[in-house]
Amino acid sequence: MDLAVQDLKHHKGRFIATVVGVGLLFGIVLAMNGIYRGVIYEGTALIKVTDPDLWVVQRYRGGPFNEESSLPEFFHYSVQSVPGVEKASPFIFYTVERMVDGENRHFSIVGYDVFGGLGGPKNIVAGRPIEQAHYEMVANVKLGAHLGDRIRLGLHTYTVVGLTNDAVDPDGDPIVYLSLHDAQEVLYQPDNEEVRNERERLLRTLSAQSWLTPGKAQKLLGPLQPDTHIINAVLVRLKPGVSRGQTAHLIEKWLYLNAYTTKEEVGLVLKGRLTNMLHQLLLFRMLLLTISVVIISLVIYMFTTEKIRSIAVMKLIGAPDRQIVRLVMEQSLLLTVSAFLFGLVLISNTYSKFPRRILLLPRDDAITFAVAVAAGILASILGLRRALKTQPAIALGG
Amino acid sequence: METLRTEGLSKIFGSGRLEVRALQDINLSVSEGELAALLGPSGSGKTTLLLCISLILDPTEGKIVFDGQTIFQKNGWAGVDIRRLRREKVGFIFQAHNLIPFLTAKQNVLLPLNLIGIKGKKAEHRVMELLEYMEIAHRADNLPALLSGGEQQRVAIARALANTPRLILADEPTAALDTGRGAKVMEILIKIARENRTAVIVVIHDERMIKGFDHVYRLKDGCLERDNNADG
Repeated sequence: MDLAVQDLKHHKGRFIATVVGVGLLFGIVLAMNGIYRGVIYEGTALIKVTDPDLWVVQRYRGGPFNEESSLPEFFHYSVQSVPGVEKASPFIFYTVERMVDGENRHFSIVGYDVFGGLGGPKNIVAGRPIEQAHYEMVANVKLGAHLGDRIRLGLHTYTVVGLTNDAVDPDGDPIVYLSLHDAQEVLYQPDNEEVRNERERLLRTLSAQSWLTPGKAQKLLGPLQPDTHIINAVLVRLKPGVSRGQTAHLIEKWLYLNAYTTKEEVGLVLKGRLTNMLHQLLLFRMLLLTISVVIISLVIYMFTTEKIRSIAVMKLIGAPDRQIVRLVMEQSLLLTVSAFLFGLVLISNTYSKFPRRILLLPRDDAITFAVAVAAGILASILGLRRALKTQPAIALGG
Repeated sequence: METLRTEGLSKIFGSGRLEVRALQDINLSVSEGELAALLGPSGSGKTTLLLCISLILDPTEGKIVFDGQTIFQKNGWAGVDIRRLRREKVGFIFQAHNLIPFLTAKQNVLLPLNLIGIKGKKAEHRVMELLEYMEIAHRADNLPALLSGGEQQRVAIARALANTPRLILADEPTAALDTGRGAKVMEILIKIARENRTAVIVVIHDERMIKGFDHVYRLKDGCLERDNNADG
């Protein structure tokens, strides 16, 4: 005869209400585990999908994802000439907010050398890669675009020729791939009115210089226009057997740039962009677990307090302490395990409806379960203390 | 054979000016098959004496002999596992029945059997036997809340008998019952003592209920007197 189960059967309503309440808390903890994994997955997805041997960025910069890195486009020729480099490709990445299908959408643009360069889309699930130098795009399915859709970005309209499903930016927003020069145009190319205004502004500044004649000032306008041939990084593929570390060292020493392996780039993103969010999620998980422990403690304490006379009777008729401990602890564990299972079932059936990616890993669930069980044992301490201190004499008298 | 004997049992609470002598030089004896009644007004020390002979409260002085074995003397409990002794050899009946509310009548009687390691069909059989003996078998699957006061007390007596105790200690077992039901409970206790050769000590305040008892003890201000006139 299991006393704990019999007691819980007697208090079915309260038991179910507590399981649902604490189960929701455990569900949130499990969802946060999934969000944590999802943030890491999405935060590093583009780096892992792109996966060059080296990411070459502006000197002393942690770019191109953690901070701005700006390089002249032709730098990839310099990188290409470093011993051990098989291929060096220009790469541009930036975030935009534009109207897509009548809706304001936040997404990132990747520009790459579409003719055999590194950094292009992988895992195309529909359509094809970009094959023309201009006005084609490959988009992540999360953008909501369809093959053949025409999307206006900046001065031009681009046709969706392919769809991918694994490229998202560190914020979880979809990636749109363009050819390098299209991406540069979308980012840097102002419209005609803006160009006219800028030239006029520059001309007035130059004309104000006493040593320049108006004719010379006019001639300087062209060379002084902002350069749009800017990239954020150079992606490098090394020749077989070449050391990444040594080549990175050569690039840093000779070209006065910074070079990171994909692993280092992932580390930069995790440490830089994602650290605070990951700490925040960890803190919330700890807080929720603490709240769960407090609630279970209080419920178990209440259950125990209501049973004080029964516990006194049990002690008087000779029940050993282990029987009393088992009664209290088993209830605590039954409550914890039932609540955990409720939370797990709930989150397993709803995670796909969350706006951000939730990655539920069996290992995380197992660890959370172990923590929950430990929490359940911890939660029973208060009730156990009360039960073990109960004097059998309470059973005597009216 | 003598089941329980106390010799010079005293219990003192506090010390110095606050000292209270709750029990003084108590000599009490009850043999198998005998019934002893403990009478006394409120505050006379009945509950303290019951706690001492229930092996719950440590006496200050004196000796307790159970089944021929000294279990308490001046230096304390004589290497005896008190709880084991209680679960194996003592049965308790309470004033307020004290059935465990979340267990059915059957499960309440089963509990002491489980505690001494009797489980399964053997235990079930013994439980039903006891409930039938107490004429309450038809309510075996009911929770205590669904039983009347008299029915609850009969289940409580069945529970006290479950471990085939050598000694039954009853604390005001008729207090919560009307006279008729109280008398019935006392008849059952006498029957148990006689049939099972169990020693029974009953703390009681209603003298009308102790007809047929072998010994009557009166407690006053912590002192016990044997009422030879009332002895059966």
